Amino acid sequence: MSKQLSAFTTFANPAPQETPKMKLDAVLGALATRYRMLPVLLALVLIWAYFAWANPLFLSPRNLSNLSLQIVTTGIVALGLMFVLVIGEIDLSVAATGAVSAAITAGMAVNQGFDTVTAVAVGLLIGAAIGCVQGLVITYFRAPAFIVTLGTSLILQGILLDLLPASSNLISLVGQPLGKVATIYLPGLVSVALLAVVIALGLVFSLQSYAAKKRNALPASFLWSVVAPAVSLAIVGTVVIAVFSSYRGVPLLVAFLLGLLGFFAYVTTQTRFGVYLYAIGANAEAARRAGISVKFLRVTAFTLTGIFAALGGMIAAGRVLGVSPDSADTTLLLEAIAAAVIGGVSLFGGRGSVWAALTGALVIGSVSNGMLLINASTQTRLEVQGAILTLAVILDAYLSRKANRGR
Amino acid sequence: MNKNEPPILEVRNVSIRFGGVAALTRVSLSIWPGEVVALVGDNGAGKSTLVKTISGIQSPDEGEILVSGAALSLKSPHDANAAGIQTVYQDLAICDNLDTVQNLFLGREYYHPWYKGRRLDRAGMEARAKEVLANLDVKIRDINVPANSLSGGQRQSVAICRSILTDPRVVLLDEPTAALGVAQRKQVLNLIERLRAQGRAVIVISHDLGDVQQVADRVVVLRLGNKVAEVSRGSYTREELVGAITGMISNEEMAALSRREGVSHV
Ligand SMILES: Nc1ncnc2c1ncn2[C@@H]1O[C@H](COP(=O)(O)OP(=O)(O)OP(=O)(O)O)[C@@H](O)[C@H]1O
Ligand SMILES: [Mg+2]
Repeated sequence: MSKQLSAFTTFANPAPQETPKMKLDAVLGALATRYRMLPVLLALVLIWAYFAWANPLFLSPRNLSNLSLQIVTTGIVALGLMFVLVIGEIDLSVAATGAVSAAITAGMAVNQGFDTVTAVAVGLLIGAAIGCVQGLVITYFRAPAFIVTLGTSLILQGILLDLLPASSNLISLVGQPLGKVATIYLPGLVSVALLAVVIALGLVFSLQSYAAKKRNALPASFLWSVVAPAVSLAIVGTVVIAVFSSYRGVPLLVAFLLGLLGFFAYVTTQTRFGVYLYAIGANAEAARRAGISVKFLRVTAFTLTGIFAALGGMIAAGRVLGVSPDSADTTLLLEAIAAAVIGGVSLFGGRGSVWAALTGALVIGSVSNGMLLINASTQTRLEVQGAILTLAVILDAYLSRKANRGR
Repeated sequence: MNKNEPPILEVRNVSIRFGGVAALTRVSLSIWPGEVVALVGDNGAGKSTLVKTISGIQSPDEGEILVSGAALSLKSPHDANAAGIQTVYQDLAICDNLDTVQNLFLGREYYHPWYKGRRLDRAGMEARAKEVLANLDVKIRDINVPANSLSGGQRQSVAICRSILTDPRVVLLDEPTAALGVAQRKQVLNLIERLRAQGRAVIVISHDLGDVQQVADRVVVLRLGNKVAEVSRGSYTREELVGAITGMISNEEMAALSRREGVSHV
């Protein structure tokens, strides 16, 4: 019945009129996907403008340098979370995973005399193993990730207490190489050289794309696809390096975070692995029918999240010069999830870019940093951060609905 | 079509149960290259289940599937694809967040070798996508925007283009014309005829008996998981088909219908 009707209605309405509402829907759909960064960047500009107005010290190179170091841990953990969020899952154990991995690394380096590289490698492996086991449980027992990772988090908090010495409940990293990474700044020349390498790599890739497009007789603009990205990268990079250099230079950890983001931006947008993650997040059944090994990728995503959690845990331990029961507290978890969501990673799966970890962490970090600078009370700080996260989730839900109207 | 050769695809005595529901009971079916077989039946007759069995999504409880005369165990869609079987599913297998090119090539992307970073060959895929879409006269304004902006007809077209990208020998279409406008429906029927002309075997599920009569060389009727009739082009009337589907004609009449040959009736 409805099938005959559909044929009939097609005759009745030969060309659907584009109403203003449809145009608005199209704009919102685009905002949910291709231009998802816009609202975050806008929020960031507003936040920076406000704090710069409230306290000019906010934009001082020294404060920006501190701010950027403060967001490294959140950014790395948020980057890890992005992998599970994109496939429509969640991992609530990242803070505990990070703390346990850091405790093991610190214990090996401090108490057992292993060299730092070995200790860090083992810590990363522990993080990978924790993530992998959780991924296996979630995939093969079809247990909800929410509960599995929450349970794991509790177990890991218990294990953390076991790992820490009973007497002091603390492994100190004072004087250890791990305790010093946060204080290393790159000399200006090294920063410039790194920027040049990054721009060169970008040029290789954009030229490759450009040549391939020409070869396949597709439209391609040399100016927009090759020159413009390289020039804007050069300008932004130079400004960033200049600002950092007027304090102590680019912090090593910040350069490391940017390098990680760049690498995984490539992995998620330029490789099959990345496309498959997004496909699973949008329509796991379609992905499975396309011959994609959904189970393997699910476990891989959780494993990656575990590795980044471990990395974040170690860096956090290095910055506060030790591992204690507080290392597993939920602030890092909440801030990392908030960063990913504020940055535009959808909690409904399938949407969000690697750069969300940076922009989201910047929003969160700028608010806490700026609030301290203007002497706001802890209450106000919590209220504002909570409000921003809630707004971000509302926007996510709203845009996701708009993006899925085709179903 | 040479019926002395083994069929390109043969389903032999396949049964599937879901708990208490017998979705398929000892169903057999053969198809030769260059042939279009329509699968008809009421809602819940088992058509989709049969298609899922052939495409490796659902393992049969009993029975076997032969490709070019050799029994194969199709444990995954990948096995089916490797055997030259491609499927367009009833519930559209399109990812809303991926663009047309990514959807077309999902699971079989072109990519550069490792020394070029295993990078996706986006331009290569885009060019081939344009070619395939143009071949089948599918019009999509921008193949670089997410599929959530496509119409239902465009999404179905993308799904069909997707299935023939790898040059399969057997194409399964589960209700390809449902929810399509007149022009796009005609396009899909033309496309099915083109697939047949290329020597592929096509199995198509449809509720539209007009479409079936127009495009199918043979019609297989399922009812409550049983194959109740199989008729050739021109040897049946629409009323007889409706009778077979709904069970309004007796088993004897049905058997006689299946034995009937040739073009006597129209
Ligand atoms: N995964 C499943 N679990 C349980 N029962 C199922 C499952 N898939 C199908 N069935 C049942 O098997 C029977 C056949 O279903 P099938 O989807 O093959 O019918 P169909 O002929 O494709 O119907 P339609 O015309 O509505 O698409 C139905 O009774 C259905 O409820
Ligand atoms: Mg069906």
